[in-house]
Amino acid sequence: MAASFPFRLIAPTGIVYEGQVEQVIAVGPLGEFGVLAEHVNYITSIVPCVVTLKLGDGSANEFLVTGGLAEVKDGSMTLLADEAIPVAAVDAVAAAPEVQAAEEKLSQLSFYDPGYPEAERALQLARTRAEIARLRRVLN
Amino acid sequence: MATLKAIRRRIASVRSTQQITRAMKLISAARLRRAQEALLSARPYHEALKRVADSVLKTAAELAAPPENAQGKILLIVVASDRGLAGGYNVNLLRMAEQEARRRQSEGLEREFFAIGRKALDHFRRTRQPLAGERINNIPRLATVGLAREIGQQVLARWRSGEIREAGLIYNVFRSAISQRPTYEKLLPIESASADGSAAATDYYLVEPSPAELVPAVLRTYVEAGILHALLEAEASEHGARMTAMDAATNNAVEMIERLTLEMNRARQAAITKELMDIVGGAEALRA
Repeated sequence: MAASFPFRLIAPTGIVYEGQVEQVIAVGPLGEFGVLAEHVNYITSIVPCVVTLKLGDGSANEFLVTGGLAEVKDGSMTLLADEAIPVAAVDAVAAAPEVQAAEEKLSQLSFYDPGYPEAERALQLARTRAEIARLRRVLN
Repeated sequence: MATLKAIRRRIASVRSTQQITRAMKLISAARLRRAQEALLSARPYHEALKRVADSVLKTAAELAAPPENAQGKILLIVVASDRGLAGGYNVNLLRMAEQEARRRQSEGLEREFFAIGRKALDHFRRTRQPLAGERINNIPRLATVGLAREIGQQVLARWRSGEIREAGLIYNVFRSAISQRPTYEKLLPIESASADGSAAATDYYLVEPSPAELVPAVLRTYVEAGILHALLEAEASEHGARMTAMDAATNNAVEMIERLTLEMNRARQAAITKELMDIVGGAEALRA
């Protein structure tokens, strides 16, 4: 059994998840990353993605996170999410047209437009939700 | 002396007012409990974020400073309530806001207000203060992530464009149901909590992508969380203040009813005595 470490997933309105995990997988600006026990002190931002928590008993917990910051400090990890929803509770039905709308909006903006980062985030979020919808179809 | 009928009418009127104030007190008590829970459950996020923001900004302090062309303006975000009947809740807050504005003016900063709640908006309009924005009719809840995000985006946009060089929040800090304290809290530029170089400054972090690239995300999250925190404190304070005010009003009504009842009894007795005197007087006259 791999070593576990304390992990907290916190949204502005309260703690969403708190407990021992073996691994946390999330997506930052540089791509997907995983955190295991005894990770070096670490700070990064989180782009809209599904955060996967691997628990000691081999099960996994998944949350849709709409963005935020992650911190590893002295062996314990804190993920500050703008919003965190258990994947099972995500409403992914309307995702496909959302992706299209977000892509269109982004394509009309210049990279230097102040609204660009926000539009980019919206697109990433829509894509993540579409991915959840796809996985759900595959699994069913 | 008021007639018996008039006093009875007053008592009925005071009693119905008392029923309303008692109901308002109960409603505020329920809402206060909810607001307090929300305030409590938001604390871990706020605390963890402060720590993270601190460590990022320590390595990229200059990036959190206002743009070089920033004008000498300060944006004061005032969190008041939409409705009154909350004792001195709004009055004390708005007084504090003006004091703060005057103080900053003496430092050469021009003021600008962002009014949250109808009471703040009305006040600033009446006194002809420069308004940068407003959010009123925040019902049923004041402290929502959505509202904090919306305000945060507006504040950050003005910050980035150099329209303001400082932003602060003025709100009532919730201490207890009977005590709320108006407070000024600096929002921007972010001040390092451990600027004096305490132990935290030696912490080593691997920061990805780079501190400079992280700053916008940290700034956005920090501002939104700061505003949300103020909204949560203000919401709990408002319900606390209203509960206390309505409790006092209910007690006053009880006292008033007691006094009026006494007066009513006296008036009734006076009427009876007068009638008796008339009868006795009449009988005496007949006998004579």
